Amino acid sequence: MSIKNDIILRLENITKEFPGVLALDRVSLEVKQGEVHVLLGENGAGKSTLMKILCGVYKKDGGKIFIDNKEVTINGVKDAEKLGIGIIHQEFNLLPFRDIAQNIFLGKEPRKNIKLVDVIDRSVMYKKCRELLDSLEININEYALVKDLGVAQKQMVEIAKALSSEVKILIMDEPTATLTKNEIDKLFNIIKQLKAKGVSIIYISHRLEEIKMIGDRVTVLRDGKYIGTVEVCDTSTDELVKMMVGRKIENLYNRTYNKIGKEALRVEGLTLDKRIRDVSFKIHEGEIVGFYGLVGAGRTEVAKTVFGEYKPDKGSIFVFGRKLSKLTPTEAVKNKIGLLPEDRKEEGLTIKMSVKQNIVQASLKKVFPSGILKEDLELEISKKYIKELNIATPDAHKIVKNLSGGNQQKVVLAKWLLTESDIIIFDEPTRGIDVGAKAEIYEIMDELAKKGRAIMMISSDIKEIMGLTDRIYVMYQGKIIAEFDHQNYNQEEIISFAIGKGEKHG
Amino acid sequence: MVNLINSKNKFKKVPGILFGLIAVVVIFSVTTRYFFTLNNFINILEQASILVIASFAMTLTILLGKIDMSIGSIMSLTGVVTGLMIHNGMPVWISVFLGVVAGALLGMFNGYLISYQGFDFWIVTFSSMGIIQSLALVITNGATVPGFGNDFRFLGDGSLFGLPVIVLIASGITILLVFLTLRTTFGSNLYSVGGSEQISKYAGINTEAIVFKTYILSGILAGIAGIVLASKVNSASPIAGSGYEFDAIAATLIGGTPFEGGRGGIVGTLIGALIIAILMNGLNLYGFTPPIQFTLIGFIIVLIIIIDVLNEKYKAKKWGK
Ligand SMILES: Nc1ncnc2c1ncn2[C@@H]1O[C@H](COP(=O)(O)OP(=O)(O)OP(=O)(O)O)[C@@H](O)[C@H]1O
Ligand SMILES: [Mg+2]
Repeated sequence: MSIKNDIILRLENITKEFPGVLALDRVSLEVKQGEVHVLLGENGAGKSTLMKILCGVYKKDGGKIFIDNKEVTINGVKDAEKLGIGIIHQEFNLLPFRDIAQNIFLGKEPRKNIKLVDVIDRSVMYKKCRELLDSLEININEYALVKDLGVAQKQMVEIAKALSSEVKILIMDEPTATLTKNEIDKLFNIIKQLKAKGVSIIYISHRLEEIKMIGDRVTVLRDGKYIGTVEVCDTSTDELVKMMVGRKIENLYNRTYNKIGKEALRVEGLTLDKRIRDVSFKIHEGEIVGFYGLVGAGRTEVAKTVFGEYKPDKGSIFVFGRKLSKLTPTEAVKNKIGLLPEDRKEEGLTIKMSVKQNIVQASLKKVFPSGILKEDLELEISKKYIKELNIATPDAHKIVKNLSGGNQQKVVLAKWLLTESDIIIFDEPTRGIDVGAKAEIYEIMDELAKKGRAIMMISSDIKEIMGLTDRIYVMYQGKIIAEFDHQNYNQEEIISFAIGKGEKHG
Repeated sequence: MVNLINSKNKFKKVPGILFGLIAVVVIFSVTTRYFFTLNNFINILEQASILVIASFAMTLTILLGKIDMSIGSIMSLTGVVTGLMIHNGMPVWISVFLGVVAGALLGMFNGYLISYQGFDFWIVTFSSMGIIQSLALVITNGATVPGFGNDFRFLGDGSLFGLPVIVLIASGITILLVFLTLRTTFGSNLYSVGGSEQISKYAGINTEAIVFKTYILSGILAGIAGIVLASKVNSASPIAGSGYEFDAIAATLIGGTPFEGGRGGIVGTLIGALIIAILMNGLNLYGFTPPIQFTLIGFIIVLIIIIDVLNEKYKAKKWGK
């Protein structure tokens, strides 16, 4: 069909300035009808800002927006909705204490025809919600409260929310960052169906392998500037990385396998209702041990139980051979266990404080050596990490809330790296982080292992976990069902265990 | 997580504090002879009515994640305004209506500064608490407005179909507010803004308008409470409402609406206010003097809140988050 090549959306010279940052500098973008247009760029490149302008959350300082070749003005979210623009925001966008239907139809609830007040038509709302969830094969009750959902389930609800009204253009800002393979497949199917219906999709992701799988064209931004647009079939990943970062990145995974030292952490018979069942494992000094599995397999629960956040029903934890008598976060920190949590927005950051305050937060002894704050030390330490992790911020004083999503992640990472724990648990450390910074994080993890730290790494990225770890435990429905040594890594085999169909060969 | 697929959360929405209510009723019924009688129940409802209305005014703003510290002062002012108008020969119903309008205007003042001017809600409502209180003292010269005629007294002291009018008023308001908060888009937006202003903005909700309207509603409710109070005690003291804001906060918190906002609601607050009224009544039957009653009630409220918090904490430990 010829409509396939119609330009449905054109952004011309969009400019946006925040105090101290020129987030977008005359950026242009053309999206065709029915295509998946990937927007690529490092953390802080301006991707989310551009999309927030398009969906009416931010006002642009300059430039023009055309839809179907007509110039449009978008002054608010409702304007964008009327134009058929839908968005899945990068940040968490659901109300925890409201149910699924209330969240999905927030601000656009079906109404009854009653004068005087707008009465919600609840029976229509819940019915429509059920139909929508069914059509997306989302197996969650429409009356469930969002707070009771897991991260991946929440993300699926966000997707349903974006699709609850008729959209012509659907923006997805890192939709897969919190999903694992199963849900990603589901999402990609949804994307294909939408494409077939002629919906255009603007897709933002830091998982470069996804581009080849679903993308038609790619536009790259760097430092708020437009770099170029290319056809996916004409480009290689290396080339995209070069456009993005401005340099080539050799060998993402560079692991030096060390001599394994003493046993640092031993967990025996850990059980937490139905979520963890009789889990036992060991991590030695100098080792990076991966935990692979589907969302809900219990990996995060194991991490949080080891860190003392959840009370196990059974089981014991040994640190350097000594059994922990109490299991609380305070005790864990005392025993030099550190946790980089999965849900960093909710658990890892104090969003209204500055970058430097966040970085030193878990290591206050360092900057209060005698009980008095050493400001220059605080600044020096933060500057070091800002540089090392390439955190895009004008200075260390910027409020974390105003950083781009990926840069917020880096701040949490810096915070836990600074604690210098002996045993460090990384729960999805590179989620939402650009390739350049990923390479840095891998290097830092490798360094830590070299220094004899014991590292537990939870990741849903099979390439990353295989590229970086000494050993992998595969979890399925709360149990460890397989263990692999890095000499015997086999991608298919690991995945088949994770989805519960595993059989070990050889 | 798996069990969510089959469970209907719909039925789990009964506020846990309902058991608290049942508990105090049972305790007083067993330990005193007079408590479990129809007369005493009507008596309790009558005593509770004004606190119920005032607590709703508070609950709405707490649901928003904010607060209205001025409701006690608004009660005092609307009481004396209505009272003075009646004494100056205005028809009763117009005086009552204008009293409610005064409440609405005061709420509008709070709401405008908080929503459209972006001032801090504590600062605004604490200041207006002081200003409105002084206003009430100034226009009365500090003196209580004395007794009224029968037509005005009907509101707070009359009865209809065998029930105190004041109870009927409180019941009507309860039904209206339950409907407003749980069945209308305004109610949905109210919870949403309390849950997160950013998420609400991203959904295209006019958050400023919601905040503004909620404070107006709070002012209206406080106004009604103040007028009914004046009618009930047959005089309008310029400090009649002072202290109600704290009881209203207590009723709201006991009822399960936390300061963060975004959850809880009217039904919980109704139960919370009833618990407070029952405690006063029951302790009175035990023969405690008022000062000791208040002390004990304070302790019991703290106890209830602690139990509630511990219970939440326990659930959180068990289930994560
Ligand atoms: N509300 C805001 N106030 C101030 N600065 C902001 C605000 N939002 C974004 N910025 C800045 O604008 C720049 C672009 O941010 P943006 O969120 O668009 O990046 P991004 O490309 O989406 O990055 P990521 O991949 O990390 O999500 C960043 O430097 C960020 O700090
Ligand atoms: Mg972004």
